[in-house]
Amino acid sequence: MWEFRDKVAVAGVGYSKLSRRSEQSLAALTAQACDAALADAGLTRAALDGLATMPSMPRYGGARGAVEGIDVVTPWFLGELLGINEQIEWIGSTNGMVTQSLIDAAMAIASGVATHVIVYRALHNPPGKYINFESSHAGGHEQYTAPYGFTSPPAWAATCFRRYFELYGYSRADFAPFIVGNRANTMKNPNGYWRDKPLTEEDYLTTRMIADPMSLLDCDIPVDGCCALLLTSTERARDLKKPPALLTGFAASTHVGPAGVAQNLEDQIAGSEQVARRLWAATGMGPSDVDTAQLYDGFSLFVITWLEGMGLVPKGEAMAFLREGHGNLDGRLPINTGGGALGEGRLHGMTHLAEAVIQVTDRGGERQVPGANRSLVTVSNGLAKATAFLFSRDGG
Amino acid sequence: MGDSAVAAVRPLPLEDDISAGFWAAARERRLDIQYCSSCSRWNHTPSLTCPNCGSEDLAFRPASGRGLLYAWTVLHEPPAPGFRDMVPLIVGVVELEEQPRLFITTNILGATVEQLRLGAPVEVMFEEVADVVLPQFRLVGE
Repeated sequence: MWEFRDKVAVAGVGYSKLSRRSEQSLAALTAQACDAALADAGLTRAALDGLATMPSMPRYGGARGAVEGIDVVTPWFLGELLGINEQIEWIGSTNGMVTQSLIDAAMAIASGVATHVIVYRALHNPPGKYINFESSHAGGHEQYTAPYGFTSPPAWAATCFRRYFELYGYSRADFAPFIVGNRANTMKNPNGYWRDKPLTEEDYLTTRMIADPMSLLDCDIPVDGCCALLLTSTERARDLKKPPALLTGFAASTHVGPAGVAQNLEDQIAGSEQVARRLWAATGMGPSDVDTAQLYDGFSLFVITWLEGMGLVPKGEAMAFLREGHGNLDGRLPINTGGGALGEGRLHGMTHLAEAVIQVTDRGGERQVPGANRSLVTVSNGLAKATAFLFSRDGG
Repeated sequence: MGDSAVAAVRPLPLEDDISAGFWAAARERRLDIQYCSSCSRWNHTPSLTCPNCGSEDLAFRPASGRGLLYAWTVLHEPPAPGFRDMVPLIVGVVELEEQPRLFITTNILGATVEQLRLGAPVEVMFEEVADVVLPQFRLVGE
């Protein structure tokens, strides 16, 4: 078991407004989210001595670079922005995905390198299509995919989706109840991008295809905005304004599949199983200890692969499990209680972490699951750089 | 030739030191795949070292060109301007018969969406695009 189990906690959650195209700069939105997380914990900027993120930018088809404060907010720039550069003693910014920054931050706190760390994800939604392939030539790995039109992540995920459907005899109609229920969860979440827009099964089944069988409603929506979490030791967190969410443990995937395609169903599940073994070993817990699960849904199919890979549902049965409503707020295992990225917007797993914190500290309001003592978070698709976390209620 | 004419061609492969053998074979209407003599495994996409054992003992070998349709997606919007005349575009993942999970990306040419089945047998064919030859796959006749 992890030596620092339950000794590091999230003590504050902060969101900027999440919108499709913000009038405000990413710099302003990031500062808002950080200040909100500090205020949530009853702290000020003066308390901070660590910052962590993975400040990657959206793809522009190589046409232009990234501008600080517009396209990205690196921790070095954030230190300037908040006027706290001189007091920052630790920065984490070398990871494959932003949620690995939370692991680094937990390590920095557990080892005493830092006392109060903000982990944040600031993401800009550039004008035009999110993913462009306008070049007339393709080099590197793309020389084997771009000539065939296979360059976009939704298309990669769509092949996994198709294989799952064909292997187990499901169709999009079987998935519709989950997508609709997820929107209902979103509408109980004040931070949710889609909080005011109800959705029917008919809507799901008739919406535009991005890469068949992946529709627009199977992709999270790109937003301008930021989500920030304030981490500190559990001991210090107990003296702060809100109850702490204890980090019981975490795990990261190093599983790599064959390089012929970017993603394939079996290796995504194999990677999720690797994460599961590591997480249960680190935490001393297992699937039956999970009260709510915040499963990454940048593409909807990943909810299925995580459910099966984490051992929460037997193989081939996740879609039926969801269809029968077992993942609803009042079901056996409430999933994506705040609407996930499909409902809240694309912040690469940060909103899943935030929702886990909210659930284990009883702050979910209308969407609170009674007795939610432990919440599982999984991020990305199970392959290398994917992560999982288990958060627990203090004294739960 | 104006810019719009250039952009209307599908993205073409930019060969490099590692990939040159793959594209050279395609020009000769052959599907060559890297093979590692050290661990006796096939490897695609080609790489400098074997992802299975780390050896540099990799060389291209002719593959059978036969495989099974492992998965696919159908794109109704062209993924780049050059695909305008190819929608709905079928992008297939083929598992080559040489080795489990030896995947290659392809289009499934000459097939309708209704004809696609998981595990359908496919075979390689070659398509000329501008001055490049692309390995492509088609369903093996009923």
